[in-house]
Amino acid sequence: MLEEMLATYPEPQGRFDELFEARMQPRPHWSRFLSELSAASPSGIRERLLAAERRIRDSGVTYNVYADPMGHDRPWDLDVLPLIIAPDEWQQLEAGIAQRASLFNRVLGDLYGEQSLLKEGLIPPSLILGQSGFLRPARGMRVPGGIHLHVYAADLARSPDGRWWVMADRTQAPSGAGYALENRLVVSRTFPALYRDLGIQHVARFFATLRDSLMQFAPRGDGQTLTVLLTPGPYNETYFEHALLARYLGFPLVEGGDLTVREGRVWLKTIGGLKRVHAILRRQDDNYCDPVELRADSALGVAGLMDCARRGSVLIANALGSGVLESGALLGFLPRLSEHLLGQPLQLPSIATWWCGEAAAQADALEHYQKLVFKPADPGQGFETIFGQDLDERGLATLRKKLAAHPERFVAQELVRLSQAPVLVKGQSEKIAARNIGLRVFAVASPNGYVVMPGGLTRVASSADVRVVSMQRGGGSKDTWVMSAGPVDSSFTLLRNTVTATDLVRVRAGIPSRVIENLFWFGRYQERCDDTARLLRVALNQKLQETEDEENALTPILALTRAFGVLEDEEKDADIDVALMGASTLETHPLGLPANLRALERVAFNLRDRMSLDNWRTINGLIKDPVFGRKATLSDTLNWLDRNVTSLMTLSGFALDGMTRDDGWLFLSIGRRIERLAFQCLALHVAFRNSSDSGLGWLLSLADSAVTYRSRYMARPEWLPVLDLLILDGANPRSVVFQTGGIAADLAKLELNYGACGSDLLAAEVAALKKINPARDLQPDNAQLRNTIDALRHTAFSISDHLTQRFFNLARTSIWATLGM
Amino acid sequence: MTEHTAYRVVHETRYTYSDTVTSAHQLGHLRPRATPWQKIKSHKLIIAPKPVEQVIGNDYFGNEVLRFMIDTPHDELTVRAESVVDVESHAPDAAAGSPEWEQGRLAPGVWGPAVDLDIEEFRVPSPMAPVSDEALEYGRASFTSGRPWLEAMLDLTTRIQKDFVYDPKATTVTTKVSEVFALRRGVCQDFAHLMISCLRSLGLPARYVSGYILNRPKQGAARVVGADASHAWVAGHCPEHGWIAFDPTNGKLADIEFITLGWGREFSDVTPLRGVVLGAATQTLAVEVKVQPL
Repeated sequence: MLEEMLATYPEPQGRFDELFEARMQPRPHWSRFLSELSAASPSGIRERLLAAERRIRDSGVTYNVYADPMGHDRPWDLDVLPLIIAPDEWQQLEAGIAQRASLFNRVLGDLYGEQSLLKEGLIPPSLILGQSGFLRPARGMRVPGGIHLHVYAADLARSPDGRWWVMADRTQAPSGAGYALENRLVVSRTFPALYRDLGIQHVARFFATLRDSLMQFAPRGDGQTLTVLLTPGPYNETYFEHALLARYLGFPLVEGGDLTVREGRVWLKTIGGLKRVHAILRRQDDNYCDPVELRADSALGVAGLMDCARRGSVLIANALGSGVLESGALLGFLPRLSEHLLGQPLQLPSIATWWCGEAAAQADALEHYQKLVFKPADPGQGFETIFGQDLDERGLATLRKKLAAHPERFVAQELVRLSQAPVLVKGQSEKIAARNIGLRVFAVASPNGYVVMPGGLTRVASSADVRVVSMQRGGGSKDTWVMSAGPVDSSFTLLRNTVTATDLVRVRAGIPSRVIENLFWFGRYQERCDDTARLLRVALNQKLQETEDEENALTPILALTRAFGVLEDEEKDADIDVALMGASTLETHPLGLPANLRALERVAFNLRDRMSLDNWRTINGLIKDPVFGRKATLSDTLNWLDRNVTSLMTLSGFALDGMTRDDGWLFLSIGRRIERLAFQCLALHVAFRNSSDSGLGWLLSLADSAVTYRSRYMARPEWLPVLDLLILDGANPRSVVFQTGGIAADLAKLELNYGACGSDLLAAEVAALKKINPARDLQPDNAQLRNTIDALRHTAFSISDHLTQRFFNLARTSIWATLGM
Repeated sequence: MTEHTAYRVVHETRYTYSDTVTSAHQLGHLRPRATPWQKIKSHKLIIAPKPVEQVIGNDYFGNEVLRFMIDTPHDELTVRAESVVDVESHAPDAAAGSPEWEQGRLAPGVWGPAVDLDIEEFRVPSPMAPVSDEALEYGRASFTSGRPWLEAMLDLTTRIQKDFVYDPKATTVTTKVSEVFALRRGVCQDFAHLMISCLRSLGLPARYVSGYILNRPKQGAARVVGADASHAWVAGHCPEHGWIAFDPTNGKLADIEFITLGWGREFSDVTPLRGVVLGAATQTLAVEVKVQPL
């Protein structure tokens, strides 16, 4: 079996092969893994693969690419075969990574302090001073604990002789640790026995160290230490990771607008007021962090953050300005810096790299250009990497000219022949092929020095002949298994950390106002989708039964579809069937079901760190449904509407049964109730004016109340009992009284904490509802009833406006930079 | 005895917003910098509405920087700085001798064992005063081989004044040097950036200086109140005489008529007032500067 799978596995052709030391001769640390694979049947392997793929899809792991014309999400591309690393080899890497992190921390301390490295010429001054990542306002800032570099990552490559080299250093806001975690969760479940038997080191402790160290280093005061994860927002390519890490580490996920600076400190805007922030794990780039002192055109930042950093009133990981070390131009100077600052030789070498600003290096680079790649010395002033071997005569002449004019803008780096590792070929999972790989490893600062994650993110080239591995260019990834020399410390998981009674948090304090707004709209859109689906279903079913006795019903239903906006004007929708089916499945209808589902998806997208994955999975299931966005037959459309009603009911179930009843839940609940009440009132409004006594069945099925009605009355729908059920019956969750009372109760709960929230707006209608006398008033032409229902619909929207004013505006202020003369 | 003049400078900035602003973070470079030739006799700030916080510190370049935050709702923000300074004559004689300009030059990848960061800081390009072929070419016409530094600097200063038209409508605070080259028009800020670009392209260090210039009334005409504005010029580093300031807008050495607020690599380092406000839709800005010899 194994031989078959490996039949087309290529010779390394001058590369290092991670799997084999000679033809079909596996390296010792791979042999267990291979024998397990060979013992498995093809169907067994396929089953595992499918399970892994399902896990990835279900957890919504994505990587967003700005340049992706297909929209925001690309599913995460994970190869289930891990990269296995032997224990002795790892120990060396680990020590080298930790040393590099310490070195960089020292260099940052100097560049933003004494600057003796520049004064003494250990680093060319123009290399740092001319770097767009060098933040002058950050000089002299007091970093808590003396740590600039909390999280560090290095991109490693293995050369043909088997040695590991650093290709690039990530010192600003390294990404990938969260993806490594996700890969681990998936792959360890794909090969659970092997994972245990091989003694693979766990990565959970790394994340706990990160969380605890930030807390330890953070400045104290103002109660419980609050750490937040600062993200540029859902459109960032690694937003999924931000959400995942925030959830895993237990940090609120915030955007710049959620934070504010007062009294030289950073505060989180919550519905309960401002909460002091002690530490910020940031995924936002240096220059975008503060529009007052850094890039004035940045709407993402926090005005005054730089000043707080200078005062040391907040820990920022990594410290502002740490991106300056990401220039490849520094690599050549590291050995000397290591000797100078640490008194030790640099343990983990960088790939041969020259800053062309040095005259000798420039000449050298041009001579050997075919073996080199040319990169920008300033990552902030990017241009595409130039491969020397690709240059024709004209290309070379252009490069020469550019180098002669501005040599300091270039870095020349040796082109590594990346090692190759086995991957399972997609589609034909019995075959194992080889791809070039690179390895990103991570270190985190702790009070006991730098701790390296035992593992990392193995990045896989997108095809066999690709020279660089990059997530942005469509590459994939692997889990990285580091075998342990001794027994694995498995007693530890992040979720079972020691929590004492005083640490217990019953209701999450400090929900950002922005999150509250999204939860509110999640509730509203969820209900609006449900209303839309039910309405379309009732309308299409009615069309099917036109010959039956309820022929009159079509008129009010169509009137409602127009009043609700699902169908546009009559002329445009000349063919009712086509229009109804279009509104059901096509995104072109502005208020059709797909458009509303998209809106729901968008809001859910913004809430990915808040809601359980089941919510996301349920919505994703609808958006990815084969019918969504396509023309469908009538029966396919009806089935699709059924699926919607069921899935949306499932969502309600999650909210009802799965969500903690905190203030966020209250807002979600109020959002749903407002939408439902408004829809029910609109339906009644239309029914009063268009329905005859004989055709009220549609109104009952729309309100999901047909079964109740039948069980109570065993008769055809008539106005009095129908209106009683839909308006006055306090036990029917679709009734007007039920929803009105629910909104009033929810608002009353909010008012306990936040003062007036608009429940007074409801008072008049609540009183009017109480005064309704069934015998006298429950008639479609009763003016008072009509007025009350219409007024309630308006009130529902007024409450929405009121909540927006009261709670959401804080999150929505626009920013204007004032650049004066 | 060295000639000197005392000045009273009033610099008032007023933002008017179309909607109420709920909070504002501002950063100002409004206090004249003390130097060997410039003494600050008094300095007063009046900010309305009253800031909830107001802190004074120093920036990276040693200038005094003012930071304040307002959290009362307001439709208008006024910042008024009143300073009394005494300026001594300090510029060298235009005909004084100086070393060949090449002595002050350094290529990017060349650095000595003892680096003067106060000079190197201003040799590297910055976003608004970058190095370019165009600037190099323009500068070279003045910096011919072996020419004395002072002579070459003055030549460049006067050429800019002659070649470019002062036109407040032609550019904005974000206009790039390349655009100024194309337009051949601009204001003091544009000419300063352009001159700095030329010098840096030649491998010479150059500072952007922010401040005020005395607006002398023409013969017979009355002094026009409010006709003055904040000004900007350039300082170059002479291997022999140190930092010397030139005004490309007026084509001359900057001396006793110039009041220095501070310096940096470019405008954005020493913007008199910049900041972020929350809540406004649009804003209008009015600046009034009065420079009075005492």
